[in-house]
Amino acid sequence: MTRKPSKQNSTPIQAGITRRSALKGAGALAGGMALGFAAPAVHAQQKIVRFLNGEPSADSVRALRFAAAQYEKLTGVQVRIDSVPGGAAFQKLQASIQAGQPYEIGTLSFVGDVLLLAGEKKIVPLNDLVKKYDWGPRILFPMNGNNYWYPYDYNLCWINYRKDLYGKKGLKAPINWADYLQNLTAVTGNGDGQLRHGVVHPLGSDDATNYTAFGYLWANDVRILDDKWNVVIDSPEMAPRVLEYLDFMADLVKLMPPSPRQASWANLVGDFQGDIVSHTPGTGRLIDQMNLTMPAKAANVASCLYPSKSGKKFAVNHGYDGWVVLDTPMTQEAIKFLTWFSDEHFINFLHSSPIHYQPTRLDIYKDPRWLAHPSLETFASIVDMQKQVLSDPNVVIRSIDTEGPEPDVRAGKLFRSFALPEMVQDRVFNGKSSAEALKTAAEKIRKVIA
Amino acid sequence: MMRGDRVIYAIFILAFALTALLIFYPAYHAVELSFQHRKSLVSAPEWVGFANYGHVLAMPEFWSALGRGVIFSGCSIALQLGLGLALAILLDRKLPGMAVIRGLSVLPYLLPTVVVALTFRWMLDGSTGIISHLAKTLGYTHIAWADHPVAAMATVILISVWIWTPFVTLACLAGLQSIPEELYEAARIDGAGAWNRFLHVTLPQLRSVILVVVLLRTIWMFNKFDIIWLMTRGGPQHATEHLPVLSYRLAFELYDVGKGAAISTISFLILSGLIVLYFRFFPLDQKD
Repeated sequence: MTRKPSKQNSTPIQAGITRRSALKGAGALAGGMALGFAAPAVHAQQKIVRFLNGEPSADSVRALRFAAAQYEKLTGVQVRIDSVPGGAAFQKLQASIQAGQPYEIGTLSFVGDVLLLAGEKKIVPLNDLVKKYDWGPRILFPMNGNNYWYPYDYNLCWINYRKDLYGKKGLKAPINWADYLQNLTAVTGNGDGQLRHGVVHPLGSDDATNYTAFGYLWANDVRILDDKWNVVIDSPEMAPRVLEYLDFMADLVKLMPPSPRQASWANLVGDFQGDIVSHTPGTGRLIDQMNLTMPAKAANVASCLYPSKSGKKFAVNHGYDGWVVLDTPMTQEAIKFLTWFSDEHFINFLHSSPIHYQPTRLDIYKDPRWLAHPSLETFASIVDMQKQVLSDPNVVIRSIDTEGPEPDVRAGKLFRSFALPEMVQDRVFNGKSSAEALKTAAEKIRKVIA
Repeated sequence: MMRGDRVIYAIFILAFALTALLIFYPAYHAVELSFQHRKSLVSAPEWVGFANYGHVLAMPEFWSALGRGVIFSGCSIALQLGLGLALAILLDRKLPGMAVIRGLSVLPYLLPTVVVALTFRWMLDGSTGIISHLAKTLGYTHIAWADHPVAAMATVILISVWIWTPFVTLACLAGLQSIPEELYEAARIDGAGAWNRFLHVTLPQLRSVILVVVLLRTIWMFNKFDIIWLMTRGGPQHATEHLPVLSYRLAFELYDVGKGAAISTISFLILSGLIVLYFRFFPLDQKD
C-alpha cells in the first residue's frame, strides 16, 4: 500500500525526493556543518597579531593602523591595534596575560615593568632586531645580556620657554640657576613682556612631579643610588648638592602659579598655552600640539636644558617608551611585523609627533625620510638640542626609575614611593629645613628599596 | 512544580551563577592573593601564609590609612544623612514645580564620578579655576584645597557629600511618602509642634529606611576609591590615603600584590564586623 502524499509534502515527492531522502540530506547537512565547526575554519587560518599601543593620539594611531593595513596586504597577517593611554598599558597587558589572551606586542613606559615581564618569561628577547641598529645612550637597558624591548622614543623632558618675551627683555637662555631665576623674574608680572607667573611645576606626589621637577637635581650632578644599590643621596658628596637643589626649589616656587601641589600634566600645557606662565617643563609634545592648533604661538617657543647651579652641567629627565613582544604562539609573526615595521613604517610613526618622538636609533637622524618632515626644519634649534643631549658629556640623562647600576624593580619602587617629591614638599610647603627634608627622604628611600 | 515556581528557580539560579562568577570568585581570588607573595598579577605566586597580614598590621601606614578611612566615611555619611534627610523633608512638600525640583536634585548622583572629579579639579585649579578666580575677587590669594592635609580631606568629603546626598534624599523621600497622614493629624490634635512631629512621628517611621541607608552608605564610603584617587591620589603626602588607596598603591605601584590583597581582605573583615555590630545594636523591624 502506498502512502498517499500529504498536501504539505506533495511537491518534493513529485520532484523525486522522498521524505527519507530529505531527512538524510538534512542529516548530512547538519553533520557536515558540525564537522565544519569542529574543523579549523578557513577564516581561522588568518594569522592575527594583537598590538597594544600606548600612544593614543589620533595621528599616531592612524600611522600604526596604516602600517598594519599595508602589512596585511603584503603578508595576509592581520595586525590589530588597540590603543590605551601609556599609563594604562602595563595593567592592560597584565590583564590580557591573566585572561589567557595576551597581546603579541605591547607598549611599556617603565623599565621596571619590562624587567618584571622578562623575569616571568612573559616577553621574549629582541636581540636580533635590536642588533640591526645603532642606538643612542641610556636607552636599551639590557637585562641579563638580552634586549627585551625596542625603544621608540627618548621622551626627554626639558624646559620650554617663550622666546618672544626673552626677545623683548633682551634675555638669553639660562645656563645656571641664577640666570634662570633672573630670567623668570624678568618675565613675571603684568607688564609688557611679562606673564602672571614664571614657571609651572607639579609638586605633588605623582608621576608628573617625578618626571618634571628633578631635572635641576640631575644637572647638579646628584645620584640617589651608587653602583652597588647603596643610597648615597645623603652622602657627604651628594648632600650639599641636594641641599642646594632644595633651596633653589624654594626660590623657584615663588615664581609658580598658586598650589603647585595640585598642578598636573594638563597645567604644564594649559598654563603655557594660556599665557599664564612663560616657562614649562615638557617634551616636544607641547610643540607638536601647539604647531597644529596655534602655529603662531608655537613659533615663539624655544627650549633649553635643565641648568645646574654652577652652569657646568645640564640635564634632561628621561622618559622613554618602547615595544615588547610577548611569548605567545604568534611571537614569531609579531617579531616579523616589528622587523618590517621598523624598516618601512617606523619613520611615519615618528612623524606623527615629530618633535616629541625623539629617535632612539642613531641611523634615523641621518635618514632623509625622517629629515623631510617640515617641523624638523621649523624647530631646528630644538632638534639640535635633542641631538646635543645624545653626545655632549656635560648633559646628564637621568630619571628616578632608571637610577642604580642596572634595570631593577627597586628603582621602580623608588619612583612610585614619591620619596623625592615629598622631600621637595617638606622643604617648600611644610616648613622643614633642606637638611631635615633630605634626612626624611633618605630614610624613606632606604626603607623602600630594602 | 508549578510553571511559576520553575521561572522563579531559574531566575534564582541565574542570579546565583552571576553572583558567583562576578563576586564570589573575584573575592575568593583576592583572599587567595593575600596569602601569596607576588610582584605583579602575572608573577609566579609564592605561598607565604599569614606573613602579608603580619607585615601589613605592623605598618604604621596601615593604621593611619584606617583612621583616615574612618574620618572620610564617618564625616561623609553624617553630612549625607543630615543633608539628605533635610532635603527629603523639603522635597516632600506639595508645591508647584516640585516634580522638576525633585528631578534636578538627583542630578549629582547621576553624573559619573570621573566627570564630577575632573570638573571640581578644574573649578579649584589654582591658575584657571573659577572658584580660585572668585576667591581672588573676594581678596583671597587662592583656595589651597590640595596643599593642606585638612583642606584636602575636607574637599574630598564635601565633594562626596555633593555626589551621594541625593541617594539619601531619594530613599528618605520614598520613606516620607509612605508615612500615613493620619499619624501627623493625630499628633497635631495632641498638640505636637513641628519639631515634636518630626521627632516622634517622622524619625520613628523612617527608622528602617535610615538604618538601611546608613548601612549601604557605610559600605560604599568605606570602600570608596574613585573620588579620592581622582581628586588627590591620596595626597598631599598621604593625607587622604585610606585603605583602598593604600591597597591599590601597594598592589599596582609598589609591586606587592600580596600585601595589597591583604589590606583589601582586612578591610572586608572590618566592614563585615561593623555590619554585624550594627545589626546587633540597630535591628531592622520584623514585619509579620
